[in-house]
Amino acid sequence: MPDDITGERKRDRCVTGIDALDSIVDGGIPRGNTVLVTGSVGTGKTTLSMEFLVHGALEGENCLFISVTESCEKLMNNIIPYDFFDEKLIREGKLVFLDMPVIYSQLGLEQLEFDMEEVDVLVDAISDIVTELQTSRLVIDSITSVCYRLRTQEKIREFILRLGAVLSSKGCTSLLVSEISPAEERYSLFGVEEAIADGIIFMGNLERRGDLLRTLQVVKMRGTMHSRAKYVLDLTHCGVLLVPLLKGGSVAGG
Amino acid sequence: MSLSVRVAQRLESLPESSAIALRIRADNYFDTIRGILDSFAPNKNLDSIYVTSTIPASSIINALEVLEIDLEHIYFVDSVSQFMMGESTKHGHAIYVESPTMLENVMLKVEYLIRKTKGRNNLVILDSINSMAIHNSTKMLSEFFHTLVNNLRAKKSYTLVFSMEEYESDEIRNILNLVCDETISAAEV
Repeated sequence: MPDDITGERKRDRCVTGIDALDSIVDGGIPRGNTVLVTGSVGTGKTTLSMEFLVHGALEGENCLFISVTESCEKLMNNIIPYDFFDEKLIREGKLVFLDMPVIYSQLGLEQLEFDMEEVDVLVDAISDIVTELQTSRLVIDSITSVCYRLRTQEKIREFILRLGAVLSSKGCTSLLVSEISPAEERYSLFGVEEAIADGIIFMGNLERRGDLLRTLQVVKMRGTMHSRAKYVLDLTHCGVLLVPLLKGGSVAGG
Repeated sequence: MSLSVRVAQRLESLPESSAIALRIRADNYFDTIRGILDSFAPNKNLDSIYVTSTIPASSIINALEVLEIDLEHIYFVDSVSQFMMGESTKHGHAIYVESPTMLENVMLKVEYLIRKTKGRNNLVILDSINSMAIHNSTKMLSEFFHTLVNNLRAKKSYTLVFSMEEYESDEIRNILNLVCDETISAAEV
């Protein structure tokens, strides 16, 4: 694709289908990027990630959700009934849900802490699933729960580096959901994930004069120009909606 | 000719996706609303999104029912009912924002209703800038109206900002002059 007026060479995009987010990242996430979707509880990480997959499936892409913390059945019961959702996406295999504990079990990874060899086994297993299903969009919810089993920064680094490289080589755009506490001053629990990921979408709660607003900010996205401003979001049946955060009355630090 | 008909005719003479400041008084409030919702919007085939920060949507709906105005294409964004911890009965055409200070959420609910009613153009009524000014700073309010009106213009929606003449300040007039294409006084149409 030719350079545009900014001199940026445009990479192929994975259009999220979330209009405002696509606008923020200049047309979509660069295809093959591994993006950390990070934030504290109740900020909309899972909902945003799910919508990313549903839009992909509607466009004919093969999409995979790997749930680590709760069963897929429970997840499906709690998901917002999108106006644009179609059950046939699941029936036709365009949208597939897998439970990570089942993968652990099939790989014989029953222990609470994995060694380096087991990290490789896990990455290879995810890679094989992505190849077999011809997955072009992947969500792992949450990567933090996987990292709890890796424990050391060295193993976490190895896991995310290898996983990112494998997925990128297959043209798979991935969202890795990361959980942090509200008071956290970094974008990931172990501090390693944020440095390795190609992008960081930070979702938070902003308290302003007693009101609690859900916010979204693209902190980093390799391969594209993007806004770094903070947006306010709403989780609706029409999907995630975003508007710019008004700054006129913001308190310091808001 | 009645005031409601004159208001409707005046609005119909304006270009599409206009942003209009509508100066009204307590004594012509309901005649003006009748002109907008019972004549202008149906004549132009518009879905109306009525944002209220003055009185609860339920009160406006009751008044519209008394005036025998068809509610089928009228939706409400109510930012006062929850704030006042009022009645818990929800109307099927109303969605609620916790507080009139949550201006971003007002914009999000308007966006939501526009998406839900796609297929027809929209008229967005903000009732009123004066009551919003009670809860928000002038800077915040200016930014809100600037963002919202430009967004609605891009979507080819009409915007009507109510201003109660009795409660206008210089700051409010400045905001209206900045964001609106035209100011109409209901008493003078």
